[in-house]
Amino acid sequence: MKFNLVKGLVFLLIAVLVVTQLYPLFWLLAYSLKTNEEILGGQFFALPAHWRWENYQEAYHNGHYLKYLGNSVFVTAVTMICVILLSSMVAYAISRFKIRFGPAVMLVFLVGMMIPMQATLLPLMKIFKFIDILNTHGALILPYIAFQMPIAVFILSGFIKSIPTEMEESAFIDGASVYRIFRSIILPISIPPVMTVCILTFITIWNEYIMAATFISSESLKTLPFGVYSFVSQYSVNYGDIGAFMVMGAAPVILIYFILSDKITKGMVAGAVKG
Amino acid sequence: MNVLKVPKLAIGVFILPALILYICIVFIPILVSFYTGMLDWNGIGETKFVGFENFRNLLFHDPVFWPAVRRTLLYAVASMVEIPFCLIMAVLLNRYVRKANTLVSIYFTPVILSVVIVGQLWKTIYNPTSMGGMLNEVLTSVGLQSWTHTWLSEPKIAIYCIYFVSLWQYFGYHLLIQFTGVQNIPNEIYEAAKIDGADGFQADRYITFPMIVPIFKISIVLAFIGSLQSFDLIMVMTAGGPAHATDVISTHMYNSSFLSMKYGYGSAIATFLVALCLVFTIFINAVMNKVEKRFG
Repeated sequence: MKFNLVKGLVFLLIAVLVVTQLYPLFWLLAYSLKTNEEILGGQFFALPAHWRWENYQEAYHNGHYLKYLGNSVFVTAVTMICVILLSSMVAYAISRFKIRFGPAVMLVFLVGMMIPMQATLLPLMKIFKFIDILNTHGALILPYIAFQMPIAVFILSGFIKSIPTEMEESAFIDGASVYRIFRSIILPISIPPVMTVCILTFITIWNEYIMAATFISSESLKTLPFGVYSFVSQYSVNYGDIGAFMVMGAAPVILIYFILSDKITKGMVAGAVKG
Repeated sequence: MNVLKVPKLAIGVFILPALILYICIVFIPILVSFYTGMLDWNGIGETKFVGFENFRNLLFHDPVFWPAVRRTLLYAVASMVEIPFCLIMAVLLNRYVRKANTLVSIYFTPVILSVVIVGQLWKTIYNPTSMGGMLNEVLTSVGLQSWTHTWLSEPKIAIYCIYFVSLWQYFGYHLLIQFTGVQNIPNEIYEAAKIDGADGFQADRYITFPMIVPIFKISIVLAFIGSLQSFDLIMVMTAGGPAHATDVISTHMYNSSFLSMKYGYGSAIATFLVALCLVFTIFINAVMNKVEKRFG
């Protein structure tokens, strides 16, 4: 009897947390389909009386959605490719090469993890202005890559250290170069942690907005979160449109997350436990 | 390969591109920032070298600064307090729910949403009654009219409202880390303990908690660093207002440099923030290592 009471309380707690953590998605969807009156009426759990899909149409037409989406996809994709490539190479070198300064390199990346991104905003703006890449996508991609590298190196080197060395040794004896070994053995084996890094990078970069707001000023170069933010702050005729725009902004990351969510868990622990 | 030497060129090819990019984007700006912190500069006009004057003003004459430091540290403490709760949830999920992975993914949802959306959601929740704020609406409906506030516009409570949003958003993140940690403890240990008569919460006390310490430490450090660096949520929700009541170090830095155009002063704050982060990370690592030695 007592056991059942405990179990009941636990399930109640779990259920309450499901509601609080999922509510934003519900809120967002409902918000995006409501009229101004419904939104300001404060009916937070109510569904819209009439589902205003035209909010989406209006948001799409007024908000440069495709432009922002394209920019976000471009910036995120380039960042992800570079992060994976650069950090897996460093991770491999740190965990396998016989070099004295290996731990020092690792330390550099770990120390960098503690440095707050905002502290670099002002100097980076100066530097980017000086080399004339302010207000280009380069000004976003470079710092995005740099700030995503530490966690990637951390996770990947943890994994690579756990791979048995025999395969590489026999490949080496067969005459494979270190580049070949990296490309044909290490990269294919490391797919699970690479997936984790991909998802973590994707979530962070897709949602990043402070740097985007600081380094980008042209309308045609804005990424989605900044685009959503400007839309929210400038456009106030119809609240439903703002909701619709936010849904469209969040949709890609939500979709990808729910398709790949179990992969995050696996790789994250592989890196965390061994590192 | 530990046993084989690779050519020098290969070492360079593997390490240098990442390292150079990293140093240029992360470390050089910090040095530039330290130097700019000694200038009197509004971003465009003449610069004047003033030595440590900015730092002196910051530490002794800035009424906004120390409260901001206090709020930042309180933020860090608040976010660490959440982690034991995440661990308990992880243990409970692991024990009572069969397909707990799905639940953990659901709890993770707020983490993947952009702060712009999270900020907008919570602003509507905290809105004053006249704008249909949800929290007030709920309080009124259960007869607690006297508890209603204008939340984010009240200097005394605004910052706590923001702490809460942050705790809510990162709950799933730390739960995920703790949960995977709990799952990774080999089942045989529990089985052996069961034979010896330790079951349920006793097994947690003597097996789960000691074995989870390394993962627990990762969560604590991540939460701590994360909250020292907390920035965008506050920018989106209050931008440091009302009257600096929700300013933390980084928003104070941002507002000084980009709104008041005191670039030198802003850089001094940035330098202070970096130093604080490094010192506290070393500190918390030392503390956690002690804890690990004791219980691990």
